[in-house]
Amino acid sequence: MGMQVQERGVGSTVAGQPILSVRSVHKTYKLGRVKVPVLHGVDLDIEPGEWVAILGASGSGKSTLLHLMGGLDRPDKDQLNPASVKFREMELTRQSKRALDRYRADDIGFVFQFYHLLPELNVLQNVTIGGMIKYGRLGYRTHRKEIVDRASGLLDRFGLSHRLSHRPAELSGGERQRVAIARALINEPSLLLADEPTGNLDLKTGESILDAIIEHRRDAGLTLVMVTHDERIAERADRVIRLADGLIEQG
Amino acid sequence: MPMLAMAAVMLSVATILITWSVMGGFLKTLIESGKTLVGDVAIVWPNVGFAHYDKLIEKLEADELIASATPTIETFGLVQLPDDRIELISIKGIEPTSYTDVTGFGDTLWWKPITKPTPKDHKRDDIRLDPINEPLFAEMEANGKSMSRLNRASGVVEPAGVIGIEVTGLNHRTGWGGYYPLSPNRALSNGQVESLDIFMPRDGTVGITVLALDSSGRPIDPVRQTIPIANEFQSGLYEVDQGTIFVPLGIIQRMLRLDAAQRVSKVKDDENPFAVEVDPETGEIRPKTKEVVGVDPARVTTVLVRGIDSAKLEDIRSRIREIYNAFASEHVGEVPSAMQMENQIKTWEDLNKTMISAVKKETGLVLFIFGIVSFTTVFLVLAIFWSMASEKTKDIGVLRALGASTPGIAWLWIRYGAAIGIVGSVSGTAVGYWIVSDINAIHDWMGRTFGFVIWDPRQYYFIEIPSDVDPIKALIVFVVGVLTCVLGALIPAWHSARMDPVKALRFE
Repeated sequence: MGMQVQERGVGSTVAGQPILSVRSVHKTYKLGRVKVPVLHGVDLDIEPGEWVAILGASGSGKSTLLHLMGGLDRPDKDQLNPASVKFREMELTRQSKRALDRYRADDIGFVFQFYHLLPELNVLQNVTIGGMIKYGRLGYRTHRKEIVDRASGLLDRFGLSHRLSHRPAELSGGERQRVAIARALINEPSLLLADEPTGNLDLKTGESILDAIIEHRRDAGLTLVMVTHDERIAERADRVIRLADGLIEQG
Repeated sequence: MPMLAMAAVMLSVATILITWSVMGGFLKTLIESGKTLVGDVAIVWPNVGFAHYDKLIEKLEADELIASATPTIETFGLVQLPDDRIELISIKGIEPTSYTDVTGFGDTLWWKPITKPTPKDHKRDDIRLDPINEPLFAEMEANGKSMSRLNRASGVVEPAGVIGIEVTGLNHRTGWGGYYPLSPNRALSNGQVESLDIFMPRDGTVGITVLALDSSGRPIDPVRQTIPIANEFQSGLYEVDQGTIFVPLGIIQRMLRLDAAQRVSKVKDDENPFAVEVDPETGEIRPKTKEVVGVDPARVTTVLVRGIDSAKLEDIRSRIREIYNAFASEHVGEVPSAMQMENQIKTWEDLNKTMISAVKKETGLVLFIFGIVSFTTVFLVLAIFWSMASEKTKDIGVLRALGASTPGIAWLWIRYGAAIGIVGSVSGTAVGYWIVSDINAIHDWMGRTFGFVIWDPRQYYFIEIPSDVDPIKALIVFVVGVLTCVLGALIPAWHSARMDPVKALRFE
């Protein structure tokens, strides 16, 4: 399996070891007795600090690939050609559930299309919950001030300092997504996995959200993998990977 | 939905607490009533009784653990009532003063002047409250305490009995839990009915018949005596109050031939059993008088003992055993031996064992049934939490994506269950405590407002609904309430924790 690479900008030429390496990844879902293959053998390297856009139509396996990268799911087992999803030196396919939980809490951040904020919590709590999960309930008490300061800083940067005590239901779509991004960044991850973060927003709001992510990525040296079906967004990425029918398109 | 779960826990906790407290109160009231006429410990040698009881009482009262002791005789007999009905009755011969010292006898006398109405007598209908009746009831109270009554015809003060308030059937139990005396009717031989102007403690008499036994327990002749009634008593135990009469000890001793008697020489083998002699005073011929060789002392069947307030019941019994052993060794052959008496020294709990254990079993049964009913709360909480977990599927997926572990998710639900359990149990305990504390006021209000009466003193023997709020019981019910909720949350917690995060995120 090969990959089509559209090289663009400085980020595409990052040298050295990849931060994330995907090899021979197959994924099949079972719907009752029916097996639905989604990924047919994906190979992919993401370099540190790179912004990669994964482009593809609905059902092409974009989100599945993102979930595998995030350790939320595991690839199919194949004795002859074992799959590998490697984050730095850590082989995710061989990690325990606990280690994958740790990986998600410490090293990556997830942003979803539909924000997925917790409706019972206010804006600040929705962001700090990431820190609470990372440090545990007791550890959170020790790091509370640090986490709250960081959350306030992120929300301030995203223009939400006046909304800290508001519930998600009281926010606009763009504001909600900014909160979700702040939540994804609260533990200072090295890799941000975004699943169509602007897909549910109007053009203008989507642009502003994208600007916020790009700005933060540039300042923090964050690696960004963004699933999208929007060509205009993909054009702004360092590299675009096209996924069609579970395969990275050769081109 | 959490409010529903909380309400379910609250109701269950309150229901169990109220049931347990009312049944516990019922048991406590019954036990206290059962103790009223028994004292702490009874030394019992039924039927033929035992002698030298005055010496035994002296020894008992000399002990530091014993407050007082009193001799009694307990037997069964027949009572002939003013309307000529004859009933089986338990007869207790007592010395009123010492019996009052040992038991709560004085307080059980019903006909006495009172200034405060009974709890449900809101209209002050009780005739004992009427100042006009005060002198009469004061006299009746004094008569009851001394067990005597003035015979107005002869002007002589006679020994009298105190009869259970429910024995004669001449006391109408009112809706507020008191009594109103009725006049008895007597059937005449001509088919007519005669109405008698009799108020038992004023001018009523009963006839009691007992069967005396000889020293070996064989029946001798039935003996009948008419006893004036000085007062009536209510102990709180219906079984006692509808089948007991107290009579002065001396009367029943004579009737049962348990009083002191001269012992005469036996007829010797070579002596003519039909020998006669001349009475030196009258000059008449009479059967030859036997030689008096001694005196058989009076006997009683029971000595009741009250220990000092600080003493434990078992300690009192042990001490009484020691004292009786010493007493028996001083009167060998005249009183039952220490070994014979080993199981005859009984605490008031032993004497009421059947009744107490029956009520305890009933309490246990009712609690068990309510426990099962309340256990449905577990399933209710389970169903509610399952529904909540389903509703929160996406949130669970988000938390997993943020790195929350499976035990972390499970713990979240369990903590949530515990929180609902704590809030529900605290409210349930508070509601239950409030209802139990004011149960009679609430019951009266329900009666006044809706005409809804559950506890009618005409049917139940206690005037008010008994209740006993025990902090230990409240704590147990509270803890069980919380555990119930946690138990109900366990399966949804396990289900949530095992949820596939990808499926959870895609859940719509």
